[in-house]
Amino acid sequence: MKGNAIMSNKEYIIKDADDLRWELGENFHDHIIESVYNEAGAIAAKVIIQKEESKKFHFDQWLDRLVTSRLTGFPIMFLLLAIVFWITIEGSNIPSGLLASLLVDTIHPELKLLAQNIGMPVWINGLLIDGAYLAMAWVIAVMLPPMAIFFPLFTLLEDFGYLPRVAFNMDNLYRRVGAHGKQALTMSMGFGCNAAGVIATRIIDSPRERLIAIITNNFSLCNGRWPTQILIATIFIGGAVPAHLAGVVSAGAVVGIALLGVLFSLVVSWGLSNTVLKGEASAFSLELPPYRPPRILQTLYTSLIDRTIFVLWRAIIFAIPAGLVIWLVSNVDIGEYSIAEHFINWSNPFALLFGLNGIILLAYIIAIPANEIVIPTILMLTVTTVNIVGVGSGAGVMFELDSTADTAEILFSGGWSALTGISLMLFSLLHNPCSTTLYTIYKETHSWKWTVVSAFLPIAIGLVVCFFVTQIWLLVA
Amino acid sequence: MEPLSLLIIGVVIVLFVLLLLHPRKGLLNFFKKSKRDSTRVLIEDSLKHIYDCEYNKSASDINSIAGNLNISTDKAAKVISKLEDMGLVDVKSNKVSLSESGRSYALRIIRIHRLWERYLADRTSVGETEWHSSAEEAEHILTDDQANELAAQIGNPVIDPHGDPIPTSKGEIKEKRGIPLSKLSVGELGRIVHIEDEPQSVYSQIVASGIHSGMQVRMTEVSKNKIKFITEGEEIILSPLIASNLTVLPEQKSDEISENTPTLIFLKPGEEAVVVGISKACRGQQRRRLMDLGIVKGTKIKYVMESAGKDPVAYEVRGAIVALRKAQAAQIFISGKGLSNV
Repeated sequence: MKGNAIMSNKEYIIKDADDLRWELGENFHDHIIESVYNEAGAIAAKVIIQKEESKKFHFDQWLDRLVTSRLTGFPIMFLLLAIVFWITIEGSNIPSGLLASLLVDTIHPELKLLAQNIGMPVWINGLLIDGAYLAMAWVIAVMLPPMAIFFPLFTLLEDFGYLPRVAFNMDNLYRRVGAHGKQALTMSMGFGCNAAGVIATRIIDSPRERLIAIITNNFSLCNGRWPTQILIATIFIGGAVPAHLAGVVSAGAVVGIALLGVLFSLVVSWGLSNTVLKGEASAFSLELPPYRPPRILQTLYTSLIDRTIFVLWRAIIFAIPAGLVIWLVSNVDIGEYSIAEHFINWSNPFALLFGLNGIILLAYIIAIPANEIVIPTILMLTVTTVNIVGVGSGAGVMFELDSTADTAEILFSGGWSALTGISLMLFSLLHNPCSTTLYTIYKETHSWKWTVVSAFLPIAIGLVVCFFVTQIWLLVA
Repeated sequence: MEPLSLLIIGVVIVLFVLLLLHPRKGLLNFFKKSKRDSTRVLIEDSLKHIYDCEYNKSASDINSIAGNLNISTDKAAKVISKLEDMGLVDVKSNKVSLSESGRSYALRIIRIHRLWERYLADRTSVGETEWHSSAEEAEHILTDDQANELAAQIGNPVIDPHGDPIPTSKGEIKEKRGIPLSKLSVGELGRIVHIEDEPQSVYSQIVASGIHSGMQVRMTEVSKNKIKFITEGEEIILSPLIASNLTVLPEQKSDEISENTPTLIFLKPGEEAVVVGISKACRGQQRRRLMDLGIVKGTKIKYVMESAGKDPVAYEVRGAIVALRKAQAAQIFISGKGLSNV
């Protein structure tokens, strides 16, 4: 009985509330916010004493005029980005080399020796040391140094207050494609690492624009793909022009690919905002915080822990199983051939339609955890399937060569042409994000749908682009 | 195969995939639509129509049902006899009226329809001309439980974005209020509380004239062939037919937005003004975001700088620098001494 009385009481209150809301109408919410602000404003006016405009305020104004004016705004932006990239590339060469010689050239043979001495079975030894360990070592050596340099630099610019001004300047362009100016920032972050770029989209608080930024982040050529682009451009594009032009032309080709990625990110943003994401909620807002001196130590700490170590840890977790798979497919034989060779022979005719080959397709499937290990996997697969003797360390053991000329020789004996090189450069830009990024996309969106879209949309675009480039090339050549 | 024939095959495949996946005209969408149970849709739509007639105190018969659902009278007769078999309607001398269970069924469908419209208006960027057609589909798909969940998620609203009352989960509905816009005399103030969203052609004309629920209007001319009024600083002329789809509640106090009230885009570098209000055309999350930033009636706002891309422009609002796009600035009404346009 008592329960009933309470229920009817509750219902009575709800009904009363509904009646009142119906009478008050739609503008009620606006009035509440207005009165809250008015009250707060009145209290603030009573207790807060406004100081005179300080020197710092004038400096802020002067700086703002400099970085947002039409004449100087964009040049300053490009210059700063170029400096950040240059420091990253130059600065990470040496530590990457040191890490590689430590983890791959020194510890790997030691581990092999140790395994041999304690009498570990050959297959466990291969699976764990040549597969899992080597994949992990590779990812750390190639990923850690550039991220440890790029992220702190980027965070410093953010902390100083410059990055919101970039979003402010770029918003006009992004507005036209239905996106948010802050996408310029997440895209730049994507040049360092797509997974970090996806996390960085948290700065976009409008749901639709954030999804657009997440799905298109993959079109930023990430750190793991730059070396691939540079290597292939040097061999196939630099090799096709006179020697004194080779450097300039191949560098131009790589920059061209990166700019093509930016173009694709804009076009796809426009497409998404006008089709599947048309209905998602959108609310533009952009605050320009005052400039502050960057807190260098704190920035170093947070960007190393939050971004670098976080992303690296995810990459390692995904690299280990991939290492196992890479070793297994090249060492488990069905009949006369290994699984890898079966797949390569089977997929080769299909891959040739897109200017690629079976080895490249297999490498992109099994090296999904990190773009960094695509080239070592391709080299290993080429050497084992074409039976080149004297290079590499056997089936399932990834390797890279110090000399570009030796790498070129392996690729040419694997049947590569200039078309294969160009198709690979395009496919390296336009293919699914690595599994670390995909996992991050799922974590950020909590949606399988958008994760699947982010994975397959770039592949579809990549296959279409490669197909038409290849067939037109074959038609013309 | 030859590259040329492969290219042709490639183009054909790409075109086919586009045809299949096109958002509105695609085959996939067509297939989804055809899968829906058409008898159920007809039954529910006719119940809604009969309810609407009763709510507006007019009668419904076989012809009005056939006309409203766009079906032949033969088919309408079949639907009516089916409704009668199910005990949802009573038929007396050609007049069709709802039974008790028919009314609660109709209210359930209307509840889902209006909740869905509210959801689209508040939580998505779907344009207002698409609310109705989207809700027409959702009302036949969502279950009661899903509707209640949706209602809880959007704060149990009582009004749909056109100003219609949303029935409660118990099937109670508020009486309609207000008077037709044409009943307002010259010089009187009123607030738009309801915009009829059918027929689509009339509704899209209303939307195109920039009229939104919640706007205040001041009547300037009422005659047989035109109705002229001012809302949010703009003079709008409607034909009486279109104006009859608008309902207003008479009001005394003016919003202070007149035909001379400028918007934020007229502010020049360095000038300062006071916010008078935000246009009703700005709704949902975007409206809330602006208000959260402190852009409300009485707030001082100052032009700080233009971006290198010319749009957006940065303004100082309550001590913070906030960038607003031109489209947003055009929805914020201001007044102040420093303005050359006043």
